[in-house]
Amino acid sequence: MEERRGPVRYALSVTLVALLIGAAAVEACELPAGFTPRGRLESAGVTVVFRTLPPAIELGRHFAVEALVCGDGASPVLTRVDAQMPEHRHGMNYRPTLAGQGNGRYLAEGLLFHMPGRWELSFDVEAGERRTRLVTDVVME
Amino acid sequence: MRQLLLGVIAVALLATPGRADDAELKRLLQHGPWPVSTPRDPSNAASGNAAAIALGHRLFFDARLSANGAVACATCHAPARGWTDGRARALGLADVDRNTPTVLDVALHRWFSWDGRADSLWSQSLKPIVDPREMGASGEHVARIVRADATLACLHAKAFGTPPGLEADRALVQAGKALAAFLETVRSGRTAFDDFRDALARGDAGAAARYPAAAQRGARLFVKSQCNVCHLGPAFTNGEFHDVGVPFALGAGRVDAGRSEGIKRVRADRFNLLGPWSDDRSGTVAVKTRHVEASHASFGQFKTPSLRNLGHTAPYMHDGRYATLRDAVRHYSELDVERIHTHGEQLLRPLKLTPGEIDDLVAFLESLTDPAATRVPAVPPAMGCGP
Repeated sequence: MEERRGPVRYALSVTLVALLIGAAAVEACELPAGFTPRGRLESAGVTVVFRTLPPAIELGRHFAVEALVCGDGASPVLTRVDAQMPEHRHGMNYRPTLAGQGNGRYLAEGLLFHMPGRWELSFDVEAGERRTRLVTDVVME
Repeated sequence: MRQLLLGVIAVALLATPGRADDAELKRLLQHGPWPVSTPRDPSNAASGNAAAIALGHRLFFDARLSANGAVACATCHAPARGWTDGRARALGLADVDRNTPTVLDVALHRWFSWDGRADSLWSQSLKPIVDPREMGASGEHVARIVRADATLACLHAKAFGTPPGLEADRALVQAGKALAAFLETVRSGRTAFDDFRDALARGDAGAAARYPAAAQRGARLFVKSQCNVCHLGPAFTNGEFHDVGVPFALGAGRVDAGRSEGIKRVRADRFNLLGPWSDDRSGTVAVKTRHVEASHASFGQFKTPSLRNLGHTAPYMHDGRYATLRDAVRHYSELDVERIHTHGEQLLRPLKLTPGEIDDLVAFLESLTDPAATRVPAVPPAMGCGP
């Protein structure tokens, strides 16, 4: 699987402003009303725009990720959302469930960051024969 | 403003050699304020209910709940011993494989028991009643005891709106929910560390300086050594599970699989939050149960205990192998990484502490103890149900 790391790294304990993007940048994903994106990840032909619910992730609190996936050519499908702590060599103790909501919109529930440090939040996307993992850092303090 | 505050804080820490950096100070402040509020448990309609608390208090100290009438919840969770029993491994009707965890501040936990086999305080509270090694009773037995005692039956009716019935599972669940309502009130108070932490937060160098120098050095060593990564927040625990290199062999070819077995049990538990006995119709509190996942790393993992009130709760570790805090600190100083599961926590490294540093860490840990946490709580009023 091709892995593409997003250009963003943010400390959620502060805010997530570093990655906030303007609506114009994600027009192709046709953001629904009220969807304020927290981050945008791009790989060749695939874009993932996401927000977290609640917006501020707290250590030891479950949260959800709502994602919009769009791209060129074959309709991309989000197949998994997960998170790892590479320096600790472990992931979460919970496996998120992923539900499609139509029009490229997905809801992943059941995520929980149980330790401070750098987490890699990943989105696995399939578009035709191509599989791409888009990754962004989340630093919990 | 932040720089000014941190500058004041740093002055307060001048009693320790070297200077605490901003990150260390920030981490220390994250261990408070204390106490924190205990939210009501949506899965337990009796949570916070005065009659349920009164009933749960009486049940907790009532040995009649056990099969032989000699073992109460309080037999192992004795207030005078920090709500533990002082033994390496618990003893109910028979020997138990693990150390008795304290129930102080237990309402703040996400999972219950060393392996997280219960996903709610009420479902955990009913398990020792029916465990053959602990109290060895049954739902039928609990129903008989509560129905036969006028005060208990009256409190039950006030707590749950109906008189106690004969249905075994319902009697067990309601006893568990009353016990949980009581246990939610078993809270520890402020400690010397909390006074120090709050003094740092408000920039009161004079008050901070009253915290013993050894404990101050130990506090800095605690965060510098990243102990706070697992023992985080005001309760000094992340509520999850780790393999810290404590052997899990029980002898005679038996092993304690820890969290991996706990996940199997909680999923199979008919009293879990996904079942019909939860009062949370929204399903919100069951999100952990729906999503919890076992992995190879779960084998041999045990719950991160709170570090509050360690002064009352010796011995230490899930199997009670360490008699003193010094022994427990030495474990992390001399950590045998070869003993850690191959999928284990990469964060763990031997701290290689000097004897003085061990003294400092012990002083810090002892300062997390509320001297009043061993008091026996007064029996709540019977609410017109008897004496």
